[in-house]
Parts: sequence; structure tokens; C-alpha cells
Amino acid sequence: MTILRRLALLPLLVLLVATVTFAVVQAAPGTYADTIDNPRLTPAARTHLKALYGLDQGARGQYFHWLGALAQGDLGRSFLFKQPVADVIATALLPTILLAGTALAMDVILGVLLALISARRPGGWIDRILTILSLGVYGLPSFWLAGLAILLFSLTLGWLPASHMASVGADRWAAGARWLDLVRHLILPASILGIVGAASTARYLRASLLDVRRSHHILAARARGITESRILWVHTLRPALGPLVTLIGLSLPVLVGGSVVIETIFSWPGMGRIMWQAAVARDIPVVMGCTLVGAVAVILGSLVADLLYAWADPRVRPQ
Amino acid sequence: MRITTGIKAAFCFILCLALIVSSGCTPPTEDLSDTLVIGVLADIQSWNPYLTETKFSEDLLALVYPSLAVEMSDYHDHPPTFAPALAKSWDLGSDGLGLTFHLRQDLVWNDGQPVTADDVVFTWKAQTSEEVGWYGAYTKDFIDSVEKIDDFTVSFRFSQVYAYRLMDANEGLIIPSHLWGKIPFSDWHSTDWLPHVVGAGPFVPVGHVPQQDIVLGANPSYRLGAPATIDRVVWRIVPDQLSLMTQLLAGEFDFVNSLAPEEAQRVEADPDLQVVDIPHRGYTHICWNTTRPELADPRVRRALGMAINRQTIIDTVYRGYARPSAGPILSTMWAFDDSLEPLPYDPRQASLLLNSAGWNDTDGDGTLEKDGRPLTLELLTNAENHMRQDICMLATRDLRAIGVQATPKTVEWGTFLSRLRDGDFDGAVNRWVEPTQIDLEDVWHTTPEALESSNYGRYSNPEVDRLIEEVADVRDIELQKELYGQIQHLIVADQPYTFLVEGRKLRAISTRVQGSIQNDATPYFNLEAWKLP
Repeated sequence: MTILRRLALLPLLVLLVATVTFAVVQAAPGTYADTIDNPRLTPAARTHLKALYGLDQGARGQYFHWLGALAQGDLGRSFLFKQPVADVIATALLPTILLAGTALAMDVILGVLLALISARRPGGWIDRILTILSLGVYGLPSFWLAGLAILLFSLTLGWLPASHMASVGADRWAAGARWLDLVRHLILPASILGIVGAASTARYLRASLLDVRRSHHILAARARGITESRILWVHTLRPALGPLVTLIGLSLPVLVGGSVVIETIFSWPGMGRIMWQAAVARDIPVVMGCTLVGAVAVILGSLVADLLYAWADPRVRPQ
Repeated sequence: MRITTGIKAAFCFILCLALIVSSGCTPPTEDLSDTLVIGVLADIQSWNPYLTETKFSEDLLALVYPSLAVEMSDYHDHPPTFAPALAKSWDLGSDGLGLTFHLRQDLVWNDGQPVTADDVVFTWKAQTSEEVGWYGAYTKDFIDSVEKIDDFTVSFRFSQVYAYRLMDANEGLIIPSHLWGKIPFSDWHSTDWLPHVVGAGPFVPVGHVPQQDIVLGANPSYRLGAPATIDRVVWRIVPDQLSLMTQLLAGEFDFVNSLAPEEAQRVEADPDLQVVDIPHRGYTHICWNTTRPELADPRVRRALGMAINRQTIIDTVYRGYARPSAGPILSTMWAFDDSLEPLPYDPRQASLLLNSAGWNDTDGDGTLEKDGRPLTLELLTNAENHMRQDICMLATRDLRAIGVQATPKTVEWGTFLSRLRDGDFDGAVNRWVEPTQIDLEDVWHTTPEALESSNYGRYSNPEVDRLIEEVADVRDIELQKELYGQIQHLIVADQPYTFLVEGRKLRAISTRVQGSIQNDATPYFNLEAWKLP
């Protein structure tokens, strides 16, 4: 029931987010017609473009026009990309899901692993080194890490490509080689996102593991003579996963929203980069479209997080 | 302990994964000797030239679609002339209102269809269609009709006689009517154009992955000149200038169109790259808001200009890739008056001028005052351009040295533009990029309140207005030059702008590329003749 009620609220929440976003975008000075850097665009030509894109209709007129189209399932046409917004988003969604999905998998696997290692002997030297490392990575800006990784792995060692999803000329290769090429291009950006994520995941999970370990049911399990490894894997890990699944659920928006910084640095044609370009160019339809997708993802993500949490911790299961 | 074995197993798994991936890390050996790779910051907007607004889209599509004539870069000596292209010749009618183009009969689209007068007529219809909404439609305002005389003769009819008829008629690329004529104009904005592209230029599209690569290949049926020597040209889209530079210096690109001066210095140090250094058709200036009471006096504006050290700006911000700017017409243009000198750097004279205008430091606090009010100024510029920010800082320092309370202020581009338009600024560091035809009206003519123009500082001089109107009707080049000379002297005397510098256009080209001609018309001027070893 709770799920249904929350799903019913979804359109209302999305509308609210969309309206606020529209107001914010409208409040930003300048229009698409002003942002294009082309010396041949005379003031008359810019005025002409404003009329063409309906930018001369005032904020309210534009809002209701956009809302009317949305009601018919039309997200409008992008000013900048000269395509229907739905197509722009569809094109950008797949690369983002690929990148963010790979990063999330690395995040979870690496995060759980590090937390388990850390939690084995809390306060031991391994734990202390991992703590320093993960806090360090977590605190570093990702553009800096990305620059460092490019410098080391692409420019100095030449192991991995520094940007894009494919090499120049890859369109002439066989399918197998193209796949391999894609994987090579994926490694650096996904690792940066994944490692930064893993650093925080490990911190959360370590704390959570230590919490659970102090609880009575673990003491009882020990008293019954259950082996340490069974205690860790079965009795400690599952209840400790609670915060982790919340984190995973909440990363759904990132999965479809992408990362502006990483996608721009690595020339990855995803949602984050599209959204950024659209925001700078005042491409209102694309900004709105991306916001809608993001809003739906945030709401669904928190729902998924709650469901997963209930699975991990039976105490919060809805009646 | 089983925990350790679990962790060990996980580590082994990751290690194996890493090994598998790294074994695949040896890149497939790809021969790029036939491929020219160009780094650019943004993708093209559309394959239809009438749906694009960016300069890059236009430059790229000009390699695919033909034009009637090609504008030459000879504007230093006279207004630019045109070389034949699709049109082998043209003649102006006896009344001055007609213009007839005689087309070449051997040109074909790369699907084998001939390029004919029908294409020219259809192109004009598309250019002026409200449904298409081409931004350049204003260039066709004085063209009443375009008619096919026969398959290879087409006649333009103008509503009035004016200087730029050939330029306006030639504006825009010719598109294939036999294919695109089947798509109603109302559907143009929702059409994916790549599958519909046929070209008659030196290159045709081979592939396009949005936001990644654009691949053009040599067009075997190109007839306007020798077929392109390079088989494939790849434009790699890198949305970030720093990444673009990194990859350029790593040897991934053969050509990059826009370098900042400090980047040009790094490119010069690279033995595999060369810097292309050509005059840029722009000038950077400080636009003064003449409606501000303290800035209404030309003496004050002249003093501010004389207080700013242009040479420091050229040496530090432009690393020498610039020259002082003297007035509103670029020094590379035929109409530039050679007798104009850039304003000298003379802070002492500037102080005297300010004193004579009534600004004195009466209370000895280091700031000039008049009627008890201090001389305060905000220098506005946009945050995206660090060179302008640096200029802002240097100008602020120079102005403070003569007792002007100047403060730099950077805002985001959209805000910058709207503040300029609203007249909400004291001084604005900005740059104009000039077209090859001279148009002083938009920036220097007095603007009626309701009209939108680029005269942000609300400069108004009736004599300048009169001369701008007069020169528009003059045919004789010597007389035009004379009138433009007068206008330049009047504007320079008024100093509505502090004319700072004319920068250079800096590009990087790989030393393996031979035969490129670089000018400011387009970065890909003779791309079909570039050679790779």
C-alpha cells in the first residue's frame, strides 16, 4: 500500500520539481539566442531566433506551452541539438547507464571488500591505512583524480585511452575489437567514479559492521560456538548492509543523471554532459527534460532504497 | 580462517579480471596514415545548413554543400571579391536590380544527380521559409524573387540597389532539391538529416556519433577542383579546452582551431606541431556607458584610455600575439585610416585631463572627486573568458594609479549580455568580431529607445549618424574610404570605447600536414588540398 501511495504521489512531485526548475531556468539571465558565439548572428538575427523558439512569449506563456506539450507526452525540441528532446535524452542515457552502472558495481564490490578487511581488526594497521586512504580519496575532487589518472595511465604509460567511447577509426574494426575498445575506454572514467564511491561505501559499511558486531545476537551466536567467518558473513553482514542499500538506491539518480565532471573530462556523451551543455546554452527544453528524468529517478530511487532496506533488515519490513 | 579465504578469493577474482582486461589492452593496430584528426570543442548542430546557428556547423557543412561563389580574403585592399564556384559567371542587370548566375553544367550531387538551377531556387525558398526559420534570412530581405531561366541559369531580382547584392545572393549553401524538396518545410525540425545528405563539395559524411566523432570522406564525384587528397577526416569532439590541449600535445590531433596565447607557447615548444598565427577579425575594448554622468564627458573617457597600459596587456595577457587597436575599423581592413594612432599610454596626461574635466583629489585620500562625489567605476566582464578577466584586473590597477576607484566585476555570460543590453554597467571589457563587409550602424549609430542594437554604451553623435547613413549609398570606393576615415576620426575623438587590442587567431597544425592555406574565412579553407605523408 505504501508503495502504491508513493507511486501515486510521483506525478505531483515531478510537476512540483519541474515548475521550480522552470522558474529557476527562467530567472537565469540571457536566452539561447544570446549564448551562441557566432559573429554572423546580428541583433536582428538573434531577435528572429527568439521568436522562432518562442522565447519572446514571457515566462508564463513558455511554461504553459511546455506543460501543454508535456501533457501530450511531448518533451519539445532542443534548441541546441536540433532534435526532439526525447531523442537527445535517449541517445545520452545509454552511455551514462553504462558508465555509472560499471562504476556502481565497482563501488559496491570494492567498498564491501574494503569494509570487510577493515572491520576484521578495527584499529589494526591495515584498518588505519585503509581509513587514511579512503578518507583521502573521498576528500579529493574527482576532476583532480581524473587528471592525475589521465596523466599517469594515458599520457605517461600509454595503457588506456584518455577520452571518448571509441578510438579514431574504430568504426572500421570487427565487432570483437570494437567491444574491447569500448571496455578500454570505460576503465578510466568508471574507475574514478567507482573508487571515489567505494571510499565512502567502505566507511559507511565498516561503521555499520562494527555496530552490528557489538549487538547481542552476535554475542549469542559466538556463545553457541558458531565460527567467526559464519558470524561475519551470515550474522553480521546482512543486517549491516542496511545503510549500503540505501546508498545504492540513492545512486539511481546518478545512474541516469550522469556525472557532469567525469563525462566532460573524458568526453563521454552522457546525460551529465548534455545537461551541462544545455544549461550553459539556455536550452530550456533539454534542461527540463533532464530534470524530469532526474526527478523520477530520485523518487523511484528512494522507493527502491526503502524496499531494499526492508529486505536487508526485517525489523523495518512494512506490515 | 574462512574469512581470509573469502577475501583472498575475491582478490583473485579482481586480479583475474584485471589481467583479462589488461591483456586486451594492446590496442588493435590501426593505420591512421590516411586519416586527418581534428580536435574541436562542440558537435555540429545539424546536417541541414538552414537549421544550424554555430560557426563550426557552417564551416563543416561548407565542405559538403556547394555555394554559388566563394568570398576571397582580399578585404585588405578593397571590399572582398568573389571567385566562381557553382556559378561560373554572373552579370548585374542594367537597372541594377537583377543578378543572373550562369551555373556550371558538370557538377553532380554524390548520388549522381546534376546540380541545377532548381537547387538554387529551392535553396532560396528554404532560406526564406518561416517554417524553417533560418537565422540568416535577413540577408535575403531585399531579394524579391529567384527564378530559373533554364537548367543552368538562374536570375535574382532585388527590391533596391545596394553594395552587397552579390554577397547577399551568395549567402548560404546550395542544397539538393531533388531529395529535400520531398520533405515539407514543416517537418524539417523533426527530421534526422544525416541519411538525407548528398554533397557536391570535396567531402561527404561517412559517419557521425553525436558528441563523439564526425567522419567525412573524400567525395569521388567532386568536380569543382581536384578530389580531396586525404581519404578520411575525423573531427573528435572534446568538450573541455584543457582536455583538448592535453590530447593535442599527446599527439592525438593534427589540427586544432583555437588556441589561447599561453597554449600557443606550449604548442611552439612541441617539435611535431606548428602554430598558425593569422590576424583575427576582432578587437577587444572597454565600452563606456555614456549615460553615466561621470562618463558622459569625452575628456574623462580619453583620460581613462590613456591611463591603461596596452603594451602590458599585449605582453602578459596575449603573450605578444596582439597589436594595439586604434579605432572602430580593424587595421586589416581596406577602409582603415592609416593616419590613426592608438591612444598613447600617458598617465600623467590622463591626470591633467581629468583635472581639466573637474575631477580633483581635494581631500587627499588618493581618489578623485567632483562636487564631493568620488570617481568610482565598475569594470564588467564575463567569467568564461579568463583573458578578459586578466585585462579587467590590469585596467583596474592602471586606473587606480591615477586616482579612479575602479573595481573589476565578473559575471556569467548570460548575465553579462543582459546587463550590457539594459545599460546596467559603467565600463565593459568585451570584444567585437567583425564581418568582412563594414557595418558601423549596429554599434555606432544612435539607437532609438525601443530598438535593439549593439550600441550598449548609448553613444550618440549626430555627425557620425549622418556619415553612416551617407556612406551606405556611396558606390565609389575612394569616396567610401574618405567617409569611413571621417567617421573613424570622429569616433576616436569621442572615445566612447577605449580601443585596447586586436588579437591574433592561433591554431595548431601537425608538421605531418602539407599544403594547408590558413586564413580567417574558415579553418578548413583548402582542406581538400591538404596532404598527409
